Amino acid sequence: MMRSTTSHRRSLYAALGVAAILALWELLSLVVNPAIMASPVDTAKALAGLAWGSRLWVELLITLKRLVIGLAVGAGAGLVLGVLAGMEGRVRSFLEPLRWAGMTIPAVIIAVLAMFWFGLGDFTVIFIVALIVWPTMYVNTVSGIRSVDPKLVEMGRVYHFPRRLLLGEIYLPGIASPVMAGLTLSTGIAVRATVLAEVLGALSGIGHAFYRANSNLDAPQLFAWIVVLLALMAVIEFGVLRPLKRRVLRWRKEAG
Amino acid sequence: MITFQNVSKAFDSLKVFNDLSLHVATGEILGVVGPSGSGKTTMLKLITGIVPPDTGTVTVAEGAVGYVFQEPRLLPWRTALDNVAGSLRAQGKDKAGARAAAAGWLERVGLAGFEGYHPAELSGGMAQRVSVARAFAVEPRILLLDEPFSSVDTVLKSSLMDILESIIRERRATVVYVTHDLGEARRLADRIVEIVPRRGVRELGA
Ligand SMILES: Nc1ncnc2c1ncn2[C@@H]1O[C@H](COP(=O)(O)OP(=O)(O)O)[C@@H](O)[C@H]1O
Ligand SMILES: [Mg+2]
Repeated sequence: MMRSTTSHRRSLYAALGVAAILALWELLSLVVNPAIMASPVDTAKALAGLAWGSRLWVELLITLKRLVIGLAVGAGAGLVLGVLAGMEGRVRSFLEPLRWAGMTIPAVIIAVLAMFWFGLGDFTVIFIVALIVWPTMYVNTVSGIRSVDPKLVEMGRVYHFPRRLLLGEIYLPGIASPVMAGLTLSTGIAVRATVLAEVLGALSGIGHAFYRANSNLDAPQLFAWIVVLLALMAVIEFGVLRPLKRRVLRWRKEAG
Repeated sequence: MITFQNVSKAFDSLKVFNDLSLHVATGEILGVVGPSGSGKTTMLKLITGIVPPDTGTVTVAEGAVGYVFQEPRLLPWRTALDNVAGSLRAQGKDKAGARAAAAGWLERVGLAGFEGYHPAELSGGMAQRVSVARAFAVEPRILLLDEPFSSVDTVLKSSLMDILESIIRERRATVVYVTHDLGEARRLADRIVEIVPRRGVRELGA
């Protein structure tokens, strides 16, 4: 009862927030030159045009494919390396310079370098995304492993859990929460990285379409692609990540 | 059978045991009492081998070890059933076999019907009973109990001790029962020793 009231109230305020953004946008578009600031209605028309002509779906699929592969490779590498480094101090020390470099080098530099090496296209975008994403997942996983309750680890050792069970019964479930947080962060980073990489290093995808709309001085399309990006993020966050998190951390819910 | 031979153990400058020698015969139930911080938990950890002695040797008979910790120490993400089954899977039993045996032990400690509950859904006493079931499930030759009921209320404690006692009698494991309550020790143990801080142990008789 309490819960549903609060969550209703929350969605109400969230809806008000969205309305405020739309109102502000409308207001700005009335004041600012429409050549550089499309109104919500013009944007919606451009969006409908893109969806109708199937252009939207083509670019969306291309971007989605690169995003998912880049994220899977980057987050997967971060997770595996993070588990190894979290369990073994020597691995952690060994990887520390790489992690530092990964987090310090600006994304644009990685993108330009990848284009310099591999030219334009899918592989370049995926490479950039994976390289930008891995350190975040890695750091979350390492700190997750290190925060696993040492008493549970001791229990596992007393009962002679083999490595496979220590990992599957204690360490991996123990890091589920920070790993899910890391995955959410990584996904946000991956979306930004994908678009950046597509603007610079691809001839297709949402980022490239956005870049082209910009070159053509087509403000409604420019804004339409931004809306597409936000919608994509919303679907991923609310349609995939949140349900996944709820599933993975189910055991916590049942306590309530 | 458990033998401590001239065992010394210190944590940094804190000497917990100095030249401790102690023998627990096969099938014997040894009660260990001593004030808080005297080294009771350390003694059990020395027996499991997860803490090595600085000098001397600890010899333990072959076979499975069951350990009931001071707190239930269950995996919060696993059900009561899978917490018990986990210790069996560690012995190489397959998942189905482990679960079947685990269900039997849960029933034995009075938790039939709670197999699917997660630890946070159980009361402290119920969680500790799961921990007892986990220790017995491995068919231990050595059973180590670290103040298993210190956080359980008096009424429940008595019924848990009954369960424990009946299982111990039928299994004939070698038992080290740690408690700071001499009365509890008297009820269960064949022999009682008291840990004298920084020295060793003193026999108290039964
Ligand atoms: N891993 C450890 N590192 C440092 N000191 C420890 C460690 N384990 C136990 N001690 C110390 O050793 C002493 C004995 O501890 P413990 O065996 O847990 O006592 P008891 O179980 O009798 O209360 C305590 O003073 C405790 O602080
Ligand atoms: Mg203790």
